[in-house]
Amino acid sequence: MGHGSHPSGPVRWRQDFPISSDDDSYATRLEFTKFLGLTSIAFLFGTFVAAGRKTWRRWAARQSASTSVAGISELEVGGYKLFRYPSVDDPCILLRRGPSEFVAFNQNCSHLACPVHFEAAAGQLLCPCHVGVFSADDGRPLAGPPRRGLEKFTVSVRDGQVWVEPPSAEEFA
Amino acid sequence: MSPHTRLRHRMHVVLHMAMTFVITILLAQLWLFTVALEAMESRDAPETIVVAALVVSFLGCSAVWLLIRFFLRAEKS
Repeated sequence: MGHGSHPSGPVRWRQDFPISSDDDSYATRLEFTKFLGLTSIAFLFGTFVAAGRKTWRRWAARQSASTSVAGISELEVGGYKLFRYPSVDDPCILLRRGPSEFVAFNQNCSHLACPVHFEAAAGQLLCPCHVGVFSADDGRPLAGPPRRGLEKFTVSVRDGQVWVEPPSAEEFA
Repeated sequence: MSPHTRLRHRMHVVLHMAMTFVITILLAQLWLFTVALEAMESRDAPETIVVAALVVSFLGCSAVWLLIRFFLRAEKS
């Protein structure tokens, strides 16, 4: 007696579901090659999105204008101030390292984008999430999981104000 | 072994080689995708890296579809 058969003919459920479970899970070569082709398109699309975002970020950074982020008298030596630049979605930190020495970094850790904090005594920026440590001088990674440095901005002082400048074309070269 | 069977065996080898090549291209595309993501996150990385990754990935995608077309044609014949 065959699977699903009956002396008087096929059973009722076999008439309603005529496809065996083996046939149901069988993938043809056409389906498999289609899957490979679509996977290739997905990788291409992902690369395209990454390239687009990179280009857009650079374009937006070039278009941003200089912004006054603090008065010189607002910060003591060793102090810091948080601000947002170039958009409200980009948290940044301004540090006063000396009487006329200011540096500004993007506050997002280059590891997993947790906000970094300034440790004035150690002269370092610390990420509390995974204990990543960055130099407060140039933002380079010193310890912990981050491999890339913090994004650093060009800072200038004029008219008693600290200005953050958009990156120059040379910085993008 | 008849000439027809021999031809079928040879076609099987060629088709396996084509599929291996397709999977190699897919792995290369995956690597290019990670390179583009890394370059996107890093401000210092030049824009040419992502453009090159995009162009090579496009060539890889075209090659994959050409190989798939060849694969399906050879299977039918």
